[in-house]
Amino acid sequence: MSIKVEKIEGGVPNSTIMAAGLIASLVCVYLTYANVLTGTQFFSFFGGLATVAALVWGSNTIKHLCSYGIGTGVPSAGMIAFGSGVIAMLFATKFGIAAPIVAVILAAVIGVIIGFVSNNVINMRIPVMIQSLTEMAIIGALTMMGYAAMMTGSFTLQSLSTGSMVFLGLSLPSYQISFLGGGLVAAAFMLGAIAIQHPFNACLGPNWTQDRMLMLGAECGFLSMIVAAVMSLPLISMSAALVSLIVALAGWFYTYTKYIELARRDAFDWVDAKPIPEVEGH
Amino acid sequence: MSAIGAKPAAGAAVDTPSMIIGIIIMLVVIAATYFLFGSGLAFMALIGVIVGGILIGFGVHFVPVGGAPAAMGQAPGIATGVAMLGAGAGLAGLFGGAWAAELGVVVATITGAIGGGLLMAITCMFVNFIYVFGMGIPAASGKVAKDPITGDTQTEFKSQGTEGHGLPFVSYVGGVVGGLFGGAGGTLVYMSLLDVYKDGLPAVLGATMSAEVVPIAVTLAGMFAIGIFLVNAVLAAYNITGTIEGPHDPKFKRFPRSIVGSATASAICGIVAIMIVAL
Repeated sequence: MSIKVEKIEGGVPNSTIMAAGLIASLVCVYLTYANVLTGTQFFSFFGGLATVAALVWGSNTIKHLCSYGIGTGVPSAGMIAFGSGVIAMLFATKFGIAAPIVAVILAAVIGVIIGFVSNNVINMRIPVMIQSLTEMAIIGALTMMGYAAMMTGSFTLQSLSTGSMVFLGLSLPSYQISFLGGGLVAAAFMLGAIAIQHPFNACLGPNWTQDRMLMLGAECGFLSMIVAAVMSLPLISMSAALVSLIVALAGWFYTYTKYIELARRDAFDWVDAKPIPEVEGH
Repeated sequence: MSAIGAKPAAGAAVDTPSMIIGIIIMLVVIAATYFLFGSGLAFMALIGVIVGGILIGFGVHFVPVGGAPAAMGQAPGIATGVAMLGAGAGLAGLFGGAWAAELGVVVATITGAIGGGLLMAITCMFVNFIYVFGMGIPAASGKVAKDPITGDTQTEFKSQGTEGHGLPFVSYVGGVVGGLFGGAGGTLVYMSLLDVYKDGLPAVLGATMSAEVVPIAVTLAGMFAIGIFLVNAVLAAYNITGTIEGPHDPKFKRFPRSIVGSATASAICGIVAIMIVAL
């Protein structure tokens, strides 16, 4: 009985973005495995690129779901995405090299059940509910996996929970200086959850355009990636963290400029007014 | 979503076959846990997670959520979304309860409930301060003619064209009760998982001393508790479709759907959280 308030007109269909986002973020997460193969940590920044791909896909899924007017506000969709995604992701890290694939499958299972609960048990009756919540759980899991890979250089439970501490010139293993023990996972959770819900929340309205929203999604992703790169400093080598930071800054600058261009294109008029006009005689 | 303010017409209807399927999924998960891991710590933890999830889902129904109309003084309640309020109350409770974790499950759960209730009490008080002294509007419910607790009449204070405004006494009480339930539920989920992780993590990580893994156990239990909390809070938000005035609102009667939904979702999330050490 739900009323579809806004229609998606034109633009890239959701299935195309879903396929592209899923493949791109999975490939990027797996590219961080080059760290292990080459024995360096310079490939960690691919984890950040995986989060950007997943977040762009996520902003379009949120648009797909929230155009039905779920009545609870757009941020709630981001929260349920990461709430279900982080559970799948943390469990999947047990499976070593297969972790990203396991995360996707497990998140899909959790997402289908949560989608069934909200669509049928809670009786929302929204046609895209189950599909959207499944996608959201996968996005949440892949984004968390991407941040984990970016901050630690790996995505296995052992390396996420064990760091090293230099004490009197000796390098000792420490559970406290790690992605999990140090609580960086909580900050990564919020970085992703806010970045995923902002693009549609900011761009919704009668003059919504898909390319502008997706560009804002990429911009939010790179903005979170800058913070994640700073947070990776204690866990990976300084040079590898700087590579991540430079990639994030470059990506953010490019997407921000493009977004401002698209916003000017969609605006009715652009008058470049000055906030306080200068008055003569002062 | 649009200027016409179209709301999803989820209605109060109960879909019995789906409810039964949901209960069956939950029972299958409980049975699977029992046969895989026996009736030990893991099984008790799953029960704790499910009970905690139900408490969270039920508690959210008490919280007066106003959303955007409340921010404009056109509807009663606190001017934000369910997910934010529920998460705020539950996480405040969780942090409160985590401090008391060494004193046992009962003390920690009660402490968590007090933490959540306290956050909601302070929030409701300052919301009313801003409504009354900042926006200059009295508190009046739009759903009932008389306040069920104090018996004060509401209609003469209600402005025309609004659904009521401010935070009437019954909504305030509802907010505090919701905070108590949410905080207790969040802490119960955390405490149940923390016991399992403290027991099982040394073997998984190959640590020599069990005290070493405490930071990991605390973070894992905390993250899973936050995840399960947000899932249940958003499911309850879907159930009340956005806004509710408190326990006197007709939408409150929809809570059985939310209890079944929360139990099913918590069961599936709980078994995944337990398998990280038990498998």
